Amino acid sequence: MRFLTKINRNYLLLLTITLLIATVSAYFILQLILQDNAKEKLFEKEVLIKNQIYRTGEVPNIYPIVEVKREIQKINQKPIFKEIHINNTTEDEFEVFLEYSNQIKVRDAYYSIKLRQSSFESEDIELILTGAISILLLTAFGISFLVSKKINKTVWADFEKNLLAIEKFSFVSGRRLYLVDSDIEEFDRLNLVVEQLTDKLNADYLSLKEFSENASHEIQTPLSIVLLNLDEILQQDLPKETFEKVVASINALKRLSTLNQSLILLTKIENRQFVADKVISISDLAKSKLTEFVSLFEAKNITVELNLETDFSIKMNEELAEILINNLLSNAIKHNEDNGKIQLSIRKNEFRICNSGKPNSLTNETIFSRFTKGDSKSYGLGLAIVRNICETNKLEIHYANDELHCFTITPKLKN
Amino acid sequence: MKILIIEDEIELLIGVSNYLTKENYICELADTFQNAETKLSVYEYDIILMDITLPDGNGLELLKTIKNHNIKAGVIIISAKNSTDDKIQGLDLGADDYITKPFQLSELNSRIKAVIRRRHFDGNNTLVFNEIVINTDSKSIAVNGAEITFTKKEYDLLLFFFINRNRVMTKEALAEHLWDDNIDLADNFDFIYTHLNNIRKKIKLAGGTDYIKTIYGMGYKFTEQ
Repeated sequence: MRFLTKINRNYLLLLTITLLIATVSAYFILQLILQDNAKEKLFEKEVLIKNQIYRTGEVPNIYPIVEVKREIQKINQKPIFKEIHINNTTEDEFEVFLEYSNQIKVRDAYYSIKLRQSSFESEDIELILTGAISILLLTAFGISFLVSKKINKTVWADFEKNLLAIEKFSFVSGRRLYLVDSDIEEFDRLNLVVEQLTDKLNADYLSLKEFSENASHEIQTPLSIVLLNLDEILQQDLPKETFEKVVASINALKRLSTLNQSLILLTKIENRQFVADKVISISDLAKSKLTEFVSLFEAKNITVELNLETDFSIKMNEELAEILINNLLSNAIKHNEDNGKIQLSIRKNEFRICNSGKPNSLTNETIFSRFTKGDSKSYGLGLAIVRNICETNKLEIHYANDELHCFTITPKLKN
Repeated sequence: MKILIIEDEIELLIGVSNYLTKENYICELADTFQNAETKLSVYEYDIILMDITLPDGNGLELLKTIKNHNIKAGVIIISAKNSTDDKIQGLDLGADDYITKPFQLSELNSRIKAVIRRRHFDGNNTLVFNEIVINTDSKSIAVNGAEITFTKKEYDLLLFFFINRNRVMTKEALAEHLWDDNIDLADNFDFIYTHLNNIRKKIKLAGGTDYIKTIYGMGYKFTEQ
């Protein structure tokens, strides 16, 4: 839920509850006040009636509001109030009255009196007043709600802008993160913290990047010196045994160098240092790679089939796309047998490469791990690189081993 | 041909220089950015081999100086970084080629020769070895005066042998010369035999001599002996 929605929702909820409580309590308080008032009036009337009987001996009777009856003897009645309903004959409906009954003694005579006052009137007043109060409250709340909503929007606008900037921020771009200053202390503090954090991360990222590049440089240079010297030794007239040893050393050295470069490549892919800036047509790429690889196919007499239904385009880095296809093709040749075959099929949102070859114990879960090798001569990094390229480009790769060894690349389904 | 080698690693500098001197180039050495800049302002070179990572400056800056002073040398960048970004940047700044460490001397020589050919420094587009003549403009090969059709890879391989005459090269070095850095060949070197056999067959058929000697089944040498 968005912050403002949440705030507004809470506000409305609070408003409803407050309004309800205020109205109900206003109603009851008013009722109490009016009832008190009515009782006081009835007491006053009692005194007036007492006085009249005392002075004139006349017993007043006005139905239904005054009822006085002379009693023969004293009955023990205490003054009570109660609500009664009396049928109004003119309008033929029941009206609510507050009734006060008591026994009074005037000049040694006992009278029972019943004084009534219609509650109908006071109820009307209660309702009108309660209504007025709630309308007043509602208007006040409504206005303050609209005002705060408007203020919230302007106050949060900068925050929204900054949030968008953080969402779009990428270390790969090499740009600093700039956030808009609002004049709200908490937001500015947050901005400061985020900016300091990203600056720190950026510096770490750059030093890591530099480290992997420098590590590469530092390792490749001594390798160059060794290779250069071995190369020169190779030019001398060597006995077979020595010659073999020098060649083996040169080849081991090159493997070390390739391994080093592959690890650096993996790190660079994981650090997302390749910008996906081009729409790559997999069919065009596969076709050009197949021509490039022809002599490798011929060496093992491998038959290649290309099955092209619809093109499959991916937005990614061109270099990575090439490495992806190179590695898959190299893999398909490396683990193939003489006179074997390679099948490529490209259709909408799917690229599949299958090759014949000896069965192995590798599964979809294990085959892409680093240093998992089908045979001792490979580095076990080619397919790890393939998987990393897929993962960083919203692609999914799956390996299955039925009759042929098949790798299938599809776009990753969004979660 | 005069070459300036800029490289901060002394052993590598001397190794490359010794080899190139044997190949009849005149070599001058610079082990710092400063030295290189001084040499470039005083002398003229045909080829500049340049390591871009120098202790006292970035080689790419040097490249800018070279182009600004309109020095007509061909530039080959030597870098430990097999990074396309660096390659593109270097080539954009006017470098002729880019070679990644570690490299073999035969490969370096082949790249130097390619730059010389492209720039026509020697005014000659034919390479002659006895009865075999390679025309680098038309990319054609003639044996005893008759032109023979070679595939692109066969042509590249024979040219590589021509340039690195009398040099022992492993089949891996030959394979790598024909392939992109990005392709992990691993043990897929067998295709080299096919190319070599085709070249030998074609030359012999035209009445030429097979100059490609096999050394202990692991190396090859293009030589008259």
